Amino acid sequence: MAWIMKNSAAMAIDRRDEPYLTDRMKAELEADVLPRYPTRQAATLPVLHAVQHEHNYLPYQAVEEAAAFLGVSASEMLDTATFYEEYWLTPKGKYLIMVCQSISCELMNHGQLLEMIQDKLGIGPGETTDDGKFTLMTAECLGSCGTAPCALIDETLHENLTAENFDVQIGALQ
Amino acid sequence: MALTEPILTKRIPCWPFADPAGRALVLYDRFVETGGYAALRKAIDMPPGEVIDLVKSSELRGRGGAGFPAGVKGRFLPDPDGKPRYLAVNADESEPGTFKDRLLLDYDPHLLLEGIAICMYACLLDTAYIYIRGEYRTQARKLQAAVEEAYANNVFGDQSIMGKLNGQVPNCYVHIGAGAYICGEETGLLESLEGKRGWPRIKPPFPAVAGAFGRPTVINNVETLAMVGPIIDKGAEWFKSMGTQRPQGAPPTVPASFGPKLFGVSGHVNRPGVYEEELGTTISELIENHSMGMRDGKKFKAAVPGGISMGVVTAEHYDAKLDFDIGKKCACLGLGTAGLIVMDEDTDMVAVARNVARFFSHESCGQCTPCREGTTWMYKVLQRIEAGDGTTRDLDLLLELSSSMGMMPGTTICGLADGANWAVRTIVNKFWDEFESRVTKQRYVPLTVVS
Ligand SMILES: Cc1cc2nc3c(=O)[nH]c(=O)nc-3n(C[C@H](O)[C@H](O)[C@H](O)COP(=O)(O)O)c2cc1C
Ligand code: SF4
Ligand code: FES
Repeated sequence: MAWIMKNSAAMAIDRRDEPYLTDRMKAELEADVLPRYPTRQAATLPVLHAVQHEHNYLPYQAVEEAAAFLGVSASEMLDTATFYEEYWLTPKGKYLIMVCQSISCELMNHGQLLEMIQDKLGIGPGETTDDGKFTLMTAECLGSCGTAPCALIDETLHENLTAENFDVQIGALQ
Repeated sequence: MALTEPILTKRIPCWPFADPAGRALVLYDRFVETGGYAALRKAIDMPPGEVIDLVKSSELRGRGGAGFPAGVKGRFLPDPDGKPRYLAVNADESEPGTFKDRLLLDYDPHLLLEGIAICMYACLLDTAYIYIRGEYRTQARKLQAAVEEAYANNVFGDQSIMGKLNGQVPNCYVHIGAGAYICGEETGLLESLEGKRGWPRIKPPFPAVAGAFGRPTVINNVETLAMVGPIIDKGAEWFKSMGTQRPQGAPPTVPASFGPKLFGVSGHVNRPGVYEEELGTTISELIENHSMGMRDGKKFKAAVPGGISMGVVTAEHYDAKLDFDIGKKCACLGLGTAGLIVMDEDTDMVAVARNVARFFSHESCGQCTPCREGTTWMYKVLQRIEAGDGTTRDLDLLLELSSSMGMMPGTTICGLADGANWAVRTIVNKFWDEFESRVTKQRYVPLTVVS
């Protein structure tokens, strides 16, 4: 959440000449997304999603570009981007593993999943493997409590997990 | 009494009616073949006000957590003034223990779209935004495909069978959130829809008057809207034949719990899942008949009746009826989302409380001090107790913290603080012995300044 500090103060701002939000993306967003809303600012979430989808995270320069594109200040755009769990202001691994830690999953022993990943990949929640392949996060309820414990790997939900079957699924990505 | 036929899950095989192994996404053609969009056609043959009245007379109550009468919402709207009016569909489902809306989104998205269209027609709303949580990316994609099918078949769009609504072409869009429980709160949702951080708004003004983009807005849960089609189809009396009836002789002003409801059962049972039942079914029936009993034959210890915000009920209430009155009867907050979380005798209630406090401290949006600080301190104190470093003073502190949140009217903006309070307070109070045995005794000297 927004009031939980992220290390944006220590964020290194890399700049490059080539824009992250390209003209092609802008044209697509202008045609498909902006007509849906009465204000340009309302397209903030979809625009940030689009940029992150393209680059795997939101470089600060991209946040500035999105702000200019939607006609809001960069600080307002950053304000929104930092509030939401899903936006990454620093690079993350190629695969994002999100293990649910809410109540139904804890009751069904989600801890074994975290331990297995710690053993297998050597990372705890919030960490990325050295080869940049996996980032592990804990998540709050993924809306799949009936098939707990569960986890998302990027957009794919994995249900009824055990240390053994999840090990196999992660192994397939290694 | 049990439901005799599936209603919301008519096209989604669910126990005890059918084997879920046969589930498949219902596309437009199959939806129509099985009676879909007939209710929309029936609705548009009626004047919009009559559609609202029909829903109102069915006494359908919101399925998103608060149980507010759905038909009444439409009547709060001001008269159209030619400018936009919105429907915000709450598909943010993030309350721990809740996974019922996902079932509808996964398999029968048109049931939701039909309800959306009827609601837009009845309330003269020109644009609908379906706010779906970011983690439901697969469901968002299915929903988007269904919306496109609906456009192609003139449910929405410039050829819509509804004609123009509020003088404009009816449109329906999917809006994907980005991971924040608080965006399920209706005004947090609106802020997020507007492209801002999801900070709930101070009410009034209520969304019906000034909601999305400052315009009149109706906000409803997925299941509430999915229920509208069947009600139009079969009538208010049919709907009211199910559920908990009003006590004999009570005037119609006493709210009842009519209709079917999706119950998500999770935790220590043999067959967790979503079950459609009448409101007023009991906890024991859901566990024994639907979920095939407790896992490993263990004893029932406690359950959350409807999403973690509602708090817990104990074995004393094993046969409690799950309807909108459960709060009063079982000393919990209410029915909430009807997501039943079942815990067996081996469950460590201190760990449960710690888990719950962590959830709320993490998901508090941070606007209100009692909520932001209170949830954080509850989490810290519970961690301490769980680690064996707590004292009896910590227990008092916990109760004091929780009762300063949400209980004092006007100290917080939204219901999250209330949920945190009920969840932690009911666990600590109802399992006091368990907590007491985990802390070291220390005489509590009350500070007058604190009390
Ligand atoms: C903290 C908080 C979170 C909420 N989350 C959801 C949610 O995820 N989904 C939902 O439908 N309603 C949620 N609600 C309830 C909504 O504010 C609102 O009452 C509901 O969407 C109205 O729809 P209904 O009348 O159809 O139930 C939440 C409320 C609060 C206070
Ligand atoms: S009660 Fe909590 S979640 Fe709700 S607005 Fe206040 S700080 Fe935010
Ligand atoms: S608690 Fe893990 S999916 Fe709901």
